[in-house]
Amino acid sequence: MLNKILPSDIFNILHNKVNLNYVNEIRLRADKPIVLSIGGQRIFLGEQGVTANLKEAKYASKIMIEDIIFRASECSIYSVNEQIKKGFLVTQGGIRLGIGGDIVEEKGVIKTMTNYSSINIRLPHEVRNCSLPVFTQLLNQQTIYNTLILSPPGAGKTTFLRDFIWQLSERNYAYNVLVLDERGELDLGEKGGLGNFADKISFAGKTVGFENGIRSLAPNIIVTDELATQNDVEAVMYAANCGVSLLASVHCDSIESFCSKQNFEKIISERVFQRYVLLSMRNGPGTIEGVYNENFARIRS
Amino acid sequence: MKILLIVVLFFASLFVGYAFSKKYRKRQQFFEAFVMLCQKFDVEINFSKERIKNIFLNLDESHKARLLGIDRNYISFLDQEAELSKELLFKSISFLKEEEKDLLFIFFKSLGRSDLESQSKEIKNYLTRFEGLTQSAQQDNKKYGSLSVKLGLIVGLFIVILLI
Repeated sequence: MLNKILPSDIFNILHNKVNLNYVNEIRLRADKPIVLSIGGQRIFLGEQGVTANLKEAKYASKIMIEDIIFRASECSIYSVNEQIKKGFLVTQGGIRLGIGGDIVEEKGVIKTMTNYSSINIRLPHEVRNCSLPVFTQLLNQQTIYNTLILSPPGAGKTTFLRDFIWQLSERNYAYNVLVLDERGELDLGEKGGLGNFADKISFAGKTVGFENGIRSLAPNIIVTDELATQNDVEAVMYAANCGVSLLASVHCDSIESFCSKQNFEKIISERVFQRYVLLSMRNGPGTIEGVYNENFARIRS
Repeated sequence: MKILLIVVLFFASLFVGYAFSKKYRKRQQFFEAFVMLCQKFDVEINFSKERIKNIFLNLDESHKARLLGIDRNYISFLDQEAELSKELLFKSISFLKEEEKDLLFIFFKSLGRSDLESQSKEIKNYLTRFEGLTQSAQQDNKKYGSLSVKLGLIVGLFIVILLI
């Protein structure tokens, strides 16, 4: 997919001179050097691959950025404007582009974004078995414990969720899994990626997705990424009250920061989640720092 | 031998007249196809936010035929096989004036570049302009299309008389 959105010269360098398996992000800023994020380190992209020398770095231009966004939208910006309004765009294959530019607002409502000035291309990776070290600790006798993955950005929470869904199917836990893929990142589109028992609702908000999904698909487990707002929390409470198990993720870098996070007081006080998995980048993305129970007592280090 | 030559020249003259009239008819059909294309875009974009490429691919064959390959040329740009240029778009079309090429080129350049509201407005704007071009092509076809056939016939007859 990357070959369809990047200019051919940039793609050829990445394809031939950089190991894309280790690249997490490609950042392009207008009239600035192209920066790659590899295992948490930032480095420039040059003609000969990665370089620490600014003079050898390749530069992005405004036109290049506009063209990448145009290509990523399958040459139809209007069809992805709802995503662009939120500042991102997800291509087929789960590559997510975070977009910087000028927000066009009218009467307090965001209409679109123009004058694009930067993109952060996040490359999804499938890391098979990355959830295995804690897999059994998240299972109970009926389905799974309501589990929340805590992780800073880029530390592998989406990869963890994706693998966990696949592991359930692979180990013949034939639960009906509803994947609420709000940003189109969980399903990379390849055959069998989410296993044999998963249904998917894409690009819907959590409130609508949870309500419709529970009503129409009768899931045993709902998996969703990045809880953030009060509405997300209410959707989670609704699902939990419907007797559906939950696997979700949230941005934060420690148990302490999660406990002081806004909007999550009710979830914590009512012990909606019985398991918390903390991820970090300490030994690279996906490092499991620990598993905690509903009282935040460590049950695995 | 002389009669054969006269017959050949008569039909050649008729053919030239017919070829000219066909050019005017093609031109009219070409712009009519663009009017239809804009109407289709407007519906498909507003109704289902359908992707540009799919709209082109789903056109019926008779519509595609009247676009004279311009759709295929544009799709090759969408597929990143070629840069978008006038040479690419109009490589199989000879009857367009330079200002008409400019208009069509800007139309193609604007496709898929903006949000729904702006794109829809742009398409409506182009629809009006293509309707104007269609009207003028219709008038040209009425005026010069039949005239070309008649002229071909007259010239043919003139040659016959001259040679007899």
